[in-house]
Amino acid sequence: MSFDLALILDSIPKMLMGIGLTFQLLFLSAALGLTLAVILLLMRISGRWYLSAPTMVYIYIFRGTPILVQIFIIYYGLPQLEFIRDSIFWPILREPFGCAVLALSLNTGAYVSEILRGGVLGVDRGLKEAGAALGLSARDRFIHITSPIAIRLALPAYSNDFISLMKSTALASTITLLDMMGIARTIVAETYAPYEIFISLAVIYLILTWIIQRSFGWLEKRMSRHVRQ
Amino acid sequence: MDALTGWWDDFFWGSVVVAEVFVTALILTVLLGLIGAAAKLSKNRVAKSIASGYTIVFRGTPEILVLLLFYFGSAIALTNIAQIFDPEIKFIDIPPFWAGSIAISLIVGSYATETFRGAFLGVDPGQIEAARALGLSNFKTFVYVRIPAMWRLALPPFGNHMLSLIKDTALISIIGLNETLFAAEQAIGNTGKPFTMYIVVGLIYLGFSTIITLSVMVLEKYANQHLEVGR
Repeated sequence: MSFDLALILDSIPKMLMGIGLTFQLLFLSAALGLTLAVILLLMRISGRWYLSAPTMVYIYIFRGTPILVQIFIIYYGLPQLEFIRDSIFWPILREPFGCAVLALSLNTGAYVSEILRGGVLGVDRGLKEAGAALGLSARDRFIHITSPIAIRLALPAYSNDFISLMKSTALASTITLLDMMGIARTIVAETYAPYEIFISLAVIYLILTWIIQRSFGWLEKRMSRHVRQ
Repeated sequence: MDALTGWWDDFFWGSVVVAEVFVTALILTVLLGLIGAAAKLSKNRVAKSIASGYTIVFRGTPEILVLLLFYFGSAIALTNIAQIFDPEIKFIDIPPFWAGSIAISLIVGSYATETFRGAFLGVDPGQIEAARALGLSNFKTFVYVRIPAMWRLALPPFGNHMLSLIKDTALISIIGLNETLFAAEQAIGNTGKPFTMYIVVGLIYLGFSTIITLSVMVLEKYANQHLEVGR
């Protein structure tokens, strides 16, 4: 078996052309997903059943089905419905990019809201009681006491989810998007050299994972600097 | 709902394939996880570095990439080997069932390696010392003391790995396995109702996830029954 080095050197720059799209999918979905997660979290811990019950159903559905199926329902499925085609969202849902971002955000939002909830539940009761004793309102306690500690507690789990999201962006290639994975599949279809192309792409993704891990590690260290002597 | 008439059996057999892939991959995942954890905890430096290389690579690359690399890569390797014996052969591939099952168990096995490693480390050293004191061999200690004690600790995260496995089976339709997504694509080609068909697939997976979640709850209760306070 020969390993075509020239082909690798030739295709890596081509695949890197897709890194912009991978990053767009990643950061846009991460931002929208995080917003959604915070809303879901607030509904979940509101203590009102008509707010928390729908959240639990949402999380159950989105964590219980494969993201590929979610992408297919949104991209291939929604256009079947007439009111979707007539709605103002149609310009977004018509494009594979909009559908991929929507699916990834809805999916990651469900996971991240559970991660954030874990952080909120991990905050020491005594701190909240101390806040109450100081006369802070429930809202102020949540913003100034619970949130900063919860964010720090949730950060390690969030970094794992961020890496999962980065890996899930590769699924956008199944709905015709030319991210790095999409470009690699096109090159493999042309050259039939899966080893060379896919292994080089795996190395690129591994480097991205490493960078994300290091960045979150740095952030974690910075946020816990009061703990160290 | 009319559109679904005549497609139920396709979805049913697709679900059977999903269940078959799941069980096959689950067995491989447990094996890979145990071997990986044993290698990571061993004193052998070569085994240790192979195991950490394995977890770094398979946890850091997209699932679809591993699947495609494994499927097309193994097909090329097999064809090359076959051509040594018979130059007439043009192309051989691993059946999608096996390529898919092995690929997803390699991925989830890398997560299971970390889970099992942590669980083995969480076993109370006193229990192992007690087993030594009773004169149990290393192997017997492993089977009768370490594994049962580790299993209890590994169960909650392993439940999540099982959910990942069942959801990853959906990817195998990409390499042409006739599971539920594949059935849906055929039904769509025939009826032109993508929303209906993909929702059915989603519901099937939701059913599988529910069964797994409930089973893990029962297993956890079973594993922890000795800890329950007597009433």
